[in-house]
Amino acid sequence: MSELAIRRGAAPALAVEGLGYAYPHADRSALVDVSLEVAPGEFALLAGRSASGKSTLLKAACGLVPHFHGGEIEGRVGVAGHEAIVAGPGELAAVVGYVAQDPETQVVSTTVAAEIELPLELRGDAPADRARAVEEVALALAVPHLLGRTVDTLSGGELQRVALAAALVTRPRLVLLDEPTSQLDPVAGDELIWLLRRLNEEWGVAVLLAEHRLERCLAAADRVVAMEAGMVSFDGAPGEFLAWSQEADPALTTPAARLFSLAGISPLPVGVRAARRTLEASELAPSVPPGSPPTTVPHPGKGEGRQIRPLAASAFSATAVWVELERDEQPHDVLRGLDLAVGRGERVALMGRNGAGKSTLLRAAAGLVDTVAGKLEVPTGLALLTQNPSDYLVRERIGDELPGEPGMAALRTVGLEHAVDADPRDLSGGERQRLALAIALAGRIDGGELPGLVALDEPTRGMDRARKDDLVDLVTDLAGRGAGVVVATHDVEFAAAFATRVVLLGDGVVIADGPAAEVLSGGWYFATEVARVLDLPGVVTPEQGAAALRGEESP
Amino acid sequence: MRSALAYTPRPGALQSASPGAAVAYLGSFVVVSFLFTNPLVLAAAGAGLVLAGLISGARGAVRSALWMGLGLALPIAAINALVVDRGETVLARLGHWPLFGQVDITLEAIVAGAVIALLVVVTVVAAAVYSSCVDPDRVLRSLRPLAGRSALTATLVSRLFPVAAADAGRLRDAARLRGPGAAEVGLAALSRRLLAGSLDRAVDVAATLELRGYGLDAPRVRRRREPSRFDRRFYCAAALVLAAGVAARVLGGNGFHTYPTVELTLGPETVALAALLVLSGLAPLRRRRRVRRRASSAPAPALEARRV
Repeated sequence: MSELAIRRGAAPALAVEGLGYAYPHADRSALVDVSLEVAPGEFALLAGRSASGKSTLLKAACGLVPHFHGGEIEGRVGVAGHEAIVAGPGELAAVVGYVAQDPETQVVSTTVAAEIELPLELRGDAPADRARAVEEVALALAVPHLLGRTVDTLSGGELQRVALAAALVTRPRLVLLDEPTSQLDPVAGDELIWLLRRLNEEWGVAVLLAEHRLERCLAAADRVVAMEAGMVSFDGAPGEFLAWSQEADPALTTPAARLFSLAGISPLPVGVRAARRTLEASELAPSVPPGSPPTTVPHPGKGEGRQIRPLAASAFSATAVWVELERDEQPHDVLRGLDLAVGRGERVALMGRNGAGKSTLLRAAAGLVDTVAGKLEVPTGLALLTQNPSDYLVRERIGDELPGEPGMAALRTVGLEHAVDADPRDLSGGERQRLALAIALAGRIDGGELPGLVALDEPTRGMDRARKDDLVDLVTDLAGRGAGVVVATHDVEFAAAFATRVVLLGDGVVIADGPAAEVLSGGWYFATEVARVLDLPGVVTPEQGAAALRGEESP
Repeated sequence: MRSALAYTPRPGALQSASPGAAVAYLGSFVVVSFLFTNPLVLAAAGAGLVLAGLISGARGAVRSALWMGLGLALPIAAINALVVDRGETVLARLGHWPLFGQVDITLEAIVAGAVIALLVVVTVVAAAVYSSCVDPDRVLRSLRPLAGRSALTATLVSRLFPVAAADAGRLRDAARLRGPGAAEVGLAALSRRLLAGSLDRAVDVAATLELRGYGLDAPRVRRRREPSRFDRRFYCAAALVLAAGVAARVLGGNGFHTYPTVELTLGPETVALAALLVLSGLAPLRRRRRVRRRASSAPAPALEARRV
């Protein structure tokens, strides 16, 4: 097929027919009889729980499956007129771009400019063409100021944009993205989705995006493909998908759709704007529920005297804490006179954009970084789980990681006492996380009593909603047993589900500190989808929203 | 945390130069150092490299290299003093040691060890300035047409090294965060885990290279010319240093012997070479453009007109 014919849309950007695939030595197939088509210029969303086959389908579309991973494959994968099963990923590089979840592992050059230019150079483009293409894609992705920097000085959001630029610089017909926002804060995540939508509209590039947080990207999508156990379980418009998910798999639905469903309003909204329009059209003016806090300040902040002093015994206190780290060969104050107190039994969500100081605060509490001024106290001990639970797992048997009675006590705390002889690599992602937490807790459980503070740093990265619900149960249980639990997270819906209090950091200081319902219903980026739809103080969950719409007391 | 030796883009002359010019310039100091054992020449070569590094903004790299070089140099000097018993000036007789035999510490062996150590320091400083100031992407780009597979390996290594360093930092943190009841993690277990993780990382990076089209047998195109107005200066400095070094060596300018007794002669050719080496360290200097400013006492024409 000629290049011109493809450009005019004669060939679909992606055509999958009867695709079945099994990884080498796997017990079951990762993909089973998958058939779907993505038209040129279409923006399709790939939904589904963890291990449903989304990532494998994306890898098949760019040629990594089976060329890189091996395994057995059947069926057909056509990408803009090329047969992906016959052609390798290198040959497909001209027509398809791929962006993975972890931006760290998808950069191969030292500087940003070289990283973006590399695919063109390997394709044999002339120097002048390369220079122009790099300039154009850098402008399109708003990264020209980064071109001269080295990749190891970039933030997660910047690195993800650079990876996207490297995937787009060859002007592919199709771009595949595997949970590209999972490591980004809400601001950077939203920006990336809308950037994709803009490129999709302006450049005509087809997009196939796998994502767990559907509320973030459903409104940008033309179509949704849902997967379950390696098969396509739904393929249709976003509005139809929401109606389908209510019945077939409620874990895939969005908070706004759940709000409408609970309130008995239809059609289910694909985004905040659609939800507001439906409410306005149906004259269902939201009202302040009787049980909600009497807030008159729409954006709660930490004004004078607003800092919360917990009544319970102290689990953590920071007084005028300063932490200095090196950035770009210059000393940089990451925490700037931060004050914070957390009591035992509290469930606190620590939020803020990338670089606000969340991880640094937890690391300082655990003694991994030194404070340069101020006082930081953890009077009854701390167990910290960092962002990558696999870092804690170094042995091939759980019992070897956690020997003796202290180890068994820790395993009982996280509900893994049955798996003492298992290999940590055989555990699911959620179980591995629990095991890592048990390793951090081991020996710190005194007669069944937990350490005063349990801290988790970004524990929901790449998690589907079912696993997040399990984590909410675990956090609630730990707090119920007397530990103050602090979770650094970007996930506002998760924060609304588990936290009683939200602390918002900005540039190393606390800028908002209050009850979760109050903080998450003020503002825009650090607000739940329900809060953005209804704009009512104290209403952040679908259940609260439905009660407000019915004029009932908040649950 | 970033290594001080990692490449950092700066608007310096050495960073702007082509990899060939930078390698020739820095390499000339190392070559001359290997031609001489005279401590004055070695110290001058080291001083020239330190100067070049500081002018290029690689202060952190120079500092790290000096510490690293010192860490290597001291054991070298100490071991040489223990294993070599040549030299007439015996400072201490330490008796018979197992493996070493009769150990006599001589002034000559200490000095000879110090000279080797100085050579090591010069080499380490040169490598550090290169690492901090020369863009590895440009080096790989120039290597790729000549040796594709070697360039691929170098690309993987150059990318995996900082990633592995970051992974090692994270693993060390996780080991410190283990509860007192969890099994302790020794260096061997951490190293095994790091190696396994690095292999996974290598697979990911290799997949990315595949996706970028590394496996393609692309048509060879003319390489992009990356002109630098500093290339000539660095090539000239390198040629001058090498020519002076060879000439001084031919004229017998080494003037240094350690055995049987230490003899140091500082002839005019040796002193001239040392001075040239130090001065060559100034090659990365960039002349600042003088911005012409209107004298502050003289009012701007527009203002003057308004006053009128």
